[in-house]
Amino acid sequence: MTQYVIIGDGISGSSAAETLREEDPESEITVITDEGESLYNRILIKEHAKGKLPEAPISIHDEEWYDERDIDLSLNTFVTSVDTDAKVVNTHEGEEIPYDKLLVATGGTPTQLPVENSDADGIHHFWTFQDARAIREHAEQANKGVIVGAGLLGIDFAAVCGAQGIEADYLMRGDRWWRYALSGAGAEIMHEGMREVGVEPVFDSGVDHFETDDDGHVTAAVDPNGDRYECDFVGAAIGLDFNTEYLDGAGLEQDNGIIVDEYMQTSVDDIYAAGDITRFYDVLLGEQAQNGSWGSAKEQGRVAAVNMAADEEAEQFEWVSSYSITHFDFPFLSFGHPTIGDEHAERKYSDTEWRRIAFKDGKVVGGVLIGDLSPQSQLKQLMREQREVADQAEVLLEKSVDLDELAPPQEQ
Amino acid sequence: MNMAASEPRRRSVQLDRVDVRLERVESVAPDATVRHVDQLDSDTLEAVYAALSADRSVPAAGTGLEPGEVIVFTDYFRVKRA
Ligand SMILES: Cc1cc2nc3c(=O)[nH]c(=O)nc-3n(C[C@H](O)[C@H](O)[C@H](O)COP(=O)(O)OP(=O)(O)OC[C@H]3O[C@@H](n4cnc5c(N)ncnc54)[C@H](O)[C@@H]3O)c2cc1C
Repeated sequence: MTQYVIIGDGISGSSAAETLREEDPESEITVITDEGESLYNRILIKEHAKGKLPEAPISIHDEEWYDERDIDLSLNTFVTSVDTDAKVVNTHEGEEIPYDKLLVATGGTPTQLPVENSDADGIHHFWTFQDARAIREHAEQANKGVIVGAGLLGIDFAAVCGAQGIEADYLMRGDRWWRYALSGAGAEIMHEGMREVGVEPVFDSGVDHFETDDDGHVTAAVDPNGDRYECDFVGAAIGLDFNTEYLDGAGLEQDNGIIVDEYMQTSVDDIYAAGDITRFYDVLLGEQAQNGSWGSAKEQGRVAAVNMAADEEAEQFEWVSSYSITHFDFPFLSFGHPTIGDEHAERKYSDTEWRRIAFKDGKVVGGVLIGDLSPQSQLKQLMREQREVADQAEVLLEKSVDLDELAPPQEQ
Repeated sequence: MNMAASEPRRRSVQLDRVDVRLERVESVAPDATVRHVDQLDSDTLEAVYAALSADRSVPAAGTGLEPGEVIVFTDYFRVKRA
């Protein structure tokens, strides 16, 4: 009987556990998490922090779910190391859990700002349900906010401030929000969305240090220009540090994430990885890539489990990820890898409608849609088909995209 | 697609021979099933977009929308049988 151990009960670990039970009914499956609660909906915790969604609908699996599937769940258990020779996982309580096949699905932890007083009271990072509860509780009483980190997670803090009536300054290092994926025209729509909820974008700024009161509570952020922004609430989202410390010495190849092939297999036999933590071989791009999104993590967990159970390269991971922002009156969707590419095409259609497509070697590799999301399925289809279409970008920028208007694909 | 209008949006889509509409709701009960749009597969996402924008027809089959559940998009929308 095969013993599977999964470290991490986020969506990638949990989806792997479910798939393993289906694929290998007789096996032993253990899921280990350092959190005190089983799988919950990480992409809805922001709605809780905004004060809009109660706790209960955010939970996905209760403990019965694991019992019903004969999956052994260890809550509040931190994995300290993995001995790949003895094939044993060590926990903080000194327990040794043997495995035949191991899945590493431990995601990341928000990076702390490397500045003075960044651990002051009132400065929040956002990853867990516990974080969301603390943010909500504090935000309900706070008056003046500062947000740091001009990316997809930073904007969730802007939405929390907006929904909780906190007037806030959003300190950005460059001249716009998410400058790696958006031009000025697209970013300006997002800036307007922020302003409408009471969050003021501040450009060419950032944080040099925080000031605190005698009790250690944050009172202001001072930016590198010396400008001072009073605040009693700070949301910092400058990036993720992947949770790999416990793998030191295990020999897994890493490069800001764990390197896996398209079968989610790491460089060490019988160890697989899935979810945010991977730098996976993207079969559509033809190179290693990363995805930080729910759908991708879930699919990676499933694919890893299929290959673990089959004990061979049974299925490869092929996925076009998407990530939405739903905080404003207009929708926003980024898909694929919008921050890479050697060519871009973009158009603005109205004050709240904009589209940008990223191409690499003539093929669509990602993009951002604001306002009108209707072309998403056609653009994703082109990504999957890997058609060279950059020279026909005009067709893809038409308000309504009709793929039949593209010249037929060339024989390869 | 402007979601700011204040009147309730009620647009129907044909899903596996059951018509459902998406109705904006202000609050969510603790026992509700709630999903974020990023949890939906491509076909279901397409159906949601189409149901919320007046000018698109919707592929009927293969969507995973469940009457009663709430979808988090630019507002909260409850899936209802039409
Ligand atoms: C606030 C917020 C909003 C988001 N919004 C969206 C969105 O709108 N759309 C979208 O697609 N994605 C969104 N994401 C990203 C999405 O949630 C992640 O991509 C996804 O949850 C990653 O899942 P995972 O299983 O790889 O990792 P995680 O969910 O991070 O799970 C990893 C688990 O491993 C545990 N762990 C770590 N180290 C150890 C150890 N040594 N021992 C035991 N356990 C350990 C962690 O505590 C954690 O529970 C959002 C994320 C956040 C935080």
